[in-house]
Amino acid sequence: MAYDVIVIGAGHNGLACATILAKEARRVLIVEQRDVIGGLCAGEEFHPGYRHTGLLHDTSGLRPWLVEELGLSGHGLKPGPAPHRVFSPQTDGPGLVLSSVPDESVAEIARHSDRDARQFQVFGTFLGRLRKVIEPLLNKTPVNPSDLGVGDFFDLAPHGIAARRLGKRDMMELLRIPPMCVADWLREWFETELLNASIAGPAISGGWTGPWSPGTSTNFLMQTSTWNGPGQGGVAAVVSALENAATGSGVEIRTGAAVKRIDIEQGAVRGITLLDGDEIEARSVVSSCDPRTTFLDLISPRELSHKLEQYVRDYRMRGTTAKVHLALNRPLEWASRPGEQFEYIRTGEELDDLERAFDAVKYRQRSERPVLEVHVPTVARPDLAPQGHSVASVLVHFAPHHFEEGWSDSAREALGDAVVDERERYAPGARDLVVGREVLTPVDIEKRYGLAGGHIYHGEHGLDQLITRPVPGCTGYATPLDGLYLCGSGCHPGGGVTGAPGALAAHVIQSSRQ
Amino acid sequence: MPIPTPFHPRTSEFCTSLQWKEWAGYYAIRSFDVHFDREYYAFRHAAGMIDVTPLYKYDVRGPDATAYLNRIVVRNIAKLKQNQVAYLCWCDDDGKVIDDGTVTRFEEDYYRVTSTDPDFHWFLRHMRGFDVTVENITDEVAALSVQGPNSRDVLRDVCDADMDKLKFFRTTKTRVDGGIDARISRTGYTGDLGYEIWVKNDDALGLWDALMAAGEPHGLVPAGLDAMDVTRIEAGFILNGIDYFNALHSLIERRKASPYELSLGWAVHLKRDPFIGQEALRHIKKDGPPRLFVGLDIDWPSFERLFAKHGLPPEVHSGGWRTGVPIYDSGGNFIGQATSGAWSPLLKKNLALATVQAEHGHIGNTVHLEVTVEYERKTVPATIVPKPFFDPERMKA
Repeated sequence: MAYDVIVIGAGHNGLACATILAKEARRVLIVEQRDVIGGLCAGEEFHPGYRHTGLLHDTSGLRPWLVEELGLSGHGLKPGPAPHRVFSPQTDGPGLVLSSVPDESVAEIARHSDRDARQFQVFGTFLGRLRKVIEPLLNKTPVNPSDLGVGDFFDLAPHGIAARRLGKRDMMELLRIPPMCVADWLREWFETELLNASIAGPAISGGWTGPWSPGTSTNFLMQTSTWNGPGQGGVAAVVSALENAATGSGVEIRTGAAVKRIDIEQGAVRGITLLDGDEIEARSVVSSCDPRTTFLDLISPRELSHKLEQYVRDYRMRGTTAKVHLALNRPLEWASRPGEQFEYIRTGEELDDLERAFDAVKYRQRSERPVLEVHVPTVARPDLAPQGHSVASVLVHFAPHHFEEGWSDSAREALGDAVVDERERYAPGARDLVVGREVLTPVDIEKRYGLAGGHIYHGEHGLDQLITRPVPGCTGYATPLDGLYLCGSGCHPGGGVTGAPGALAAHVIQSSRQ
Repeated sequence: MPIPTPFHPRTSEFCTSLQWKEWAGYYAIRSFDVHFDREYYAFRHAAGMIDVTPLYKYDVRGPDATAYLNRIVVRNIAKLKQNQVAYLCWCDDDGKVIDDGTVTRFEEDYYRVTSTDPDFHWFLRHMRGFDVTVENITDEVAALSVQGPNSRDVLRDVCDADMDKLKFFRTTKTRVDGGIDARISRTGYTGDLGYEIWVKNDDALGLWDALMAAGEPHGLVPAGLDAMDVTRIEAGFILNGIDYFNALHSLIERRKASPYELSLGWAVHLKRDPFIGQEALRHIKKDGPPRLFVGLDIDWPSFERLFAKHGLPPEVHSGGWRTGVPIYDSGGNFIGQATSGAWSPLLKKNLALATVQAEHGHIGNTVHLEVTVEYERKTVPATIVPKPFFDPERMKA
């Protein structure tokens, strides 16, 4: 055997998984199809002299236990600069800055509504109580609901006890809220639409959902219950720490190595074959690719049961997010807060703005007025652009992967124009700062990152797809094929820069080897 | 509402009984006469001709055609020679039968599948990764089945293929009556010497007329489904939807059956490339099937006595029956069900096809079949006998 384990993909999950496995002195190889390491977190130059820090920019979900387990602080990862602020601009008004320092947020909200400012404090403590129940579930291997054993009972018992400690009222809320749409739930709490829109934004990011879609509250609860604040240096620091940890543990990383297929013989993994024809043997293969790519592109249809293939085909991965990178010749300023610099900005002044943006995608159209999640990495990392210049890295909601008119070059540029137009509403004059741009439609994202449907979370965070993630039969990282494991965002606990699926998969693989 | 087959102008002309039924969306004749016995005896003593157009037909073509079909069906069809036909079934992931039918290899990369149920969707679903096309030609190709000891003589007189060289479960291209391109396959559903002939819809009436003309001296008679049903029971052939149920349509596990429970275990080739249900079938084979598909010879004197008690002559169905009845062991415990049966005019026996628990399924065992006599439920002993009940040498000779 050439390798004990081959991990496919050098994203955060692949790196985390390989590093943990390599700690038991296994021969571990990561193969990465691209020439850069980091997957969706790989920073690249998109315009001469301007760099972005990757497709995703939110590292606040990275798990502290993972940072500790991999010793990432020893590899240069530092706790984030407090406070963390997200700015919601208005066309006519002061906008709103939500901060990781509660008092700052309360003062900001009070500019709009005293009642909401008081409510926000209650909201914060309420979420803190729920977090005690939700967070542990998102940091452990999922329980297979169809195969509960005695061990699972003891495993789950503490969660039950934690839930009981919530008391009747919170317990009822914990049962009531998850299937709800985030809009209805937030309107129970707050009257300020700008605040509601700002809070709801992340709950619908990446989804095939608007704020009035059922189950979007779950997404919010998941994110808020695992929010740890971003580290210093953003995704770039996470990726470089993970890469250092991996190579430090003896993991071999081969870039520019696209996998043609996972070789399987009589239901068991034998290794992989690369696109260049190179065959590499391994006892186990761990795929950090999305489930559809793994099962439908990398494995011969002859090796899949019909049921599994149907599940994978029915797994929803409808990409709705585009990415626009803008090279700007000055720092970005917003009409609501002249003179201030923000690293994280979210547009959408009311819930209807988000819902209207989503409406289009249902009919295979892109939003006329997209919702923008803007990251200005140059605020913290001026070195990403020439002196005095800046970079705006924009996640655009919503643009359908299956765009009705197809993603031609002109359609791609029209999308870029719509993003610039939308930003112009809040930052008049910003249009003239643009010296270069890169527009990635969901189809471009699919191609560049090998992501089926261009779905940034490797599959939608629907309630069903969170409970049996990704599909029945593969919920615990192992698959029906001997020696084949999944470790990407398509697994529990889902997408985003968390490292959790990768690390939890590694734990499962370790225990199955013992 | 059913539609007529391309033979309808002719078949309707002969159908004096006006007894029609729906078969796979087509009008099909139950019997041409008021009673089917003339048609039945034609099948067994001369030749009968039945319109089998409604049987589903799918054409599979392409470089991966063999690998593709081998992925779906339980039998290794890579072994099929050109112009050879294989009887087989296909299963779901759990090794439970979806349907049974035939696969004919016309050319290296060209096959035709026939099925009882509309399974086109199932074949479409498994195309990913295979360079094939699958075409549903059910509505484009008309089919007649000529069955019976004289069937070869009829065809020999009307087509240019060498009928004496066409072996059992082989097929050949031919030209009928000097002008109609057809494919003849030496297969059928009567358990006798017989052939199935496929032509384009436009040639249907020409084929009918040519065969009727050539068949006259050989006693060829148009036949309906009622006659064929008795012959298929004598031949011990299973019928999807009657003797077993399509696993995809079954709401409960008990309704599903593996090939080993349908006497189709011989068609399952486990030692080969992966196919759908293979893993499950390995286990089923190892553990042994829980039920067996058997033939029953219902004891006639006992049957007669049950009716005699009420002063009645024994009442048998006039043709094949397919209303399932329970089967008990000598202690009165339920052990299975008879799913179809018929009085065999040829063998003079009261026959049934049944599924029973494996431990009761050995040849020679006596089981007890429910019969209703004058509204009262009784049982009658029946002996498990080998299938087929009727197996003439001429079928394969």
